[in-house]
Amino acid sequence: MDAARADILAARHRLTAQGWIASKSEAFRHLKPPPVEAWLGDIDEAPAACEAPPLAGAGWTLHPVGTRPSGSVEARWLDAFDAQQRAELFAGLPAPGDGDAAPFAWAHRALCRQGLRLHVGSGSGVGTAWLQLRRRPQTSVEAPLLAVDLADGAHCVLIEVHERDASGCSHAITQNLQAHVRLGRAATLVHLRLAMPGVADQWAHFVDARLGPGARYEQVLVGAGSGYHLQQVGLELHAAQATARLGSVLFAPGAALALRVHASHQSEHTTSVVDALALAGGDARAVVNAQARIAPGAAQAGVRQRLAGIPTGGQPRIVLRPQLEIHHDQVQASHGATWGAVPEDALFYARQRGLDEAQARALVIGGLAQAVVDRVLSDAEVATASGIDAWIAQGVARQLG
Amino acid sequence: MTRPNDPLLQVRGLRVDVGERHVLRSIDFDIAEGGLTVLMGANGSGKSTLGLALAGHPRYRIAGGRVCFARSDLLALDATARARAGLFVSVQAPPDIPGVKTSLFLRSAVNAVRAARGEPELDAYDFLGGLRAQATALGLPESLLNRPVNDGFSGGERKRNELLQLALLQPRLALLDEIDSGLDVDGMRVVVDFVRAQRARGTAFLVITHYLQMIEALAPDAVLRLYEGCIAEAGGLALARRIAQHGFAHSAPARAPETVPV
Repeated sequence: MDAARADILAARHRLTAQGWIASKSEAFRHLKPPPVEAWLGDIDEAPAACEAPPLAGAGWTLHPVGTRPSGSVEARWLDAFDAQQRAELFAGLPAPGDGDAAPFAWAHRALCRQGLRLHVGSGSGVGTAWLQLRRRPQTSVEAPLLAVDLADGAHCVLIEVHERDASGCSHAITQNLQAHVRLGRAATLVHLRLAMPGVADQWAHFVDARLGPGARYEQVLVGAGSGYHLQQVGLELHAAQATARLGSVLFAPGAALALRVHASHQSEHTTSVVDALALAGGDARAVVNAQARIAPGAAQAGVRQRLAGIPTGGQPRIVLRPQLEIHHDQVQASHGATWGAVPEDALFYARQRGLDEAQARALVIGGLAQAVVDRVLSDAEVATASGIDAWIAQGVARQLG
Repeated sequence: MTRPNDPLLQVRGLRVDVGERHVLRSIDFDIAEGGLTVLMGANGSGKSTLGLALAGHPRYRIAGGRVCFARSDLLALDATARARAGLFVSVQAPPDIPGVKTSLFLRSAVNAVRAARGEPELDAYDFLGGLRAQATALGLPESLLNRPVNDGFSGGERKRNELLQLALLQPRLALLDEIDSGLDVDGMRVVVDFVRAQRARGTAFLVITHYLQMIEALAPDAVLRLYEGCIAEAGGLALARRIAQHGFAHSAPARAPETVPV
């Protein structure tokens, strides 16, 4: 048996021994994940089980962004069934551990068949690298891996697109994605993520970001609900002056969608901002859970959590949970959660200017979503150039159907 | 049966409730095509309620009466249809619309109205050219056009933004609710010149204001005094001057006439 096969079997054994996520798990209380069988699939399933895209897709594909510079980028597609490539794929990545989401990580190790490692370099004359990454599923149950490393001083705008609707394939996809982001000293990454599953898809995406000294990570997520959809982000702010800003716009028209963010402040002058808007309609369940922990010694750390939920019709369930755990005196922290209707005055104002009810609602809701993006991104030009407004328009159309 | 010289707006016995309160008890007045009427009244007399009720705000319930606008039953139309029919209402405190660029909002509104009229939509390039020219004429910094609607705007900028919308939408009747509040002297002059120019193009106005200087500059066809939800008096500049001199408290409350021809 080769080392890759042995590693896969070990992960399965570990998962069996540790067990799946307990039905009473506090972390998953509001949106319980499907059982373990759903995430393990069949490692021997041949790619392209479906002739229609996206199951005949290429997995990760990398594209330029218009005429923007691609910078100094090294990309390696690695086969997790090949022992040598598997070792390279997982090199330096944290082990699944035993946290509350560890079963997902073990299930990922057990199924992962392909991964992509990106290294963004820096140096004189190397400006910001603009990259677009698209994911086309290859099997009905899959566990893709993405590792992004930015060298000291590197700057990158990474547009990561997971989109089902454009494909026309109606097969349900179960996807357990693990993404690892590493930022070197003073590196900056603007990470724009679109996650639009099909209605029956079951997706769980885990993004783990570790920031070096003075590094800056900005992430905008535009996501939509499905049969099950979890987005989890871990922020490790273990070096001084590191800053992470997350803006999430969640569209849940009669579906399930959960966002979990955990920011760990271990060093002084670290900052985390979580700004999330959940739009839910019908009988949707939308959950936003933001946790921040400021460790002893993390002087002058700053935390801001701003969670908002807006029902857009029906009787959805929206759960917003901002949580702070503070172990140092000299910090600045604020958190809040607001539930409310679409602003009536703004709707009327738009209608008084000639827009019909549907146009006015789409405009105002789209604006609320855009405002989250505007608050999080430090460079407005990035939002314009990356086409986030089109993502939001797509989400609003899906929401208001 | 309508006649060619019917007024543009004809209000008869209008009664409006807000929640459990009877705010407007009996409102009667006319505004001719291209005419300009000034509405005065003490705080709480119902001036803003009249504007919002005419605009079709859902919180303002019509309890009785009828309103004919451009020979149509205005009260049978929803807020959008009233706007598309040519009624523009500038509210006293225009709201913010977070995340929606002013230029996008205006283009959406103009194209919605054009589509309703069967006219082709304006493309972004053509629209932006006209928008910038109008904004400059109204003293509105071009940078505001790229900011969310009214987000962080000063009081004066909000009012100029209202005038910008009016200029682009070209309504048949514009109701301006205290358009002078928040404006400096130069801004007042801009308002007066703007209203004159729009009147010359055929737009009629109902202007709610407390300021005699503005009223005199606007040279209205009629001045109305609203008192406790009724049109208590109708007159000309002399009425406005008397109110300015003696105040609303010393203006004798009058029984609402059944119809006030203006």
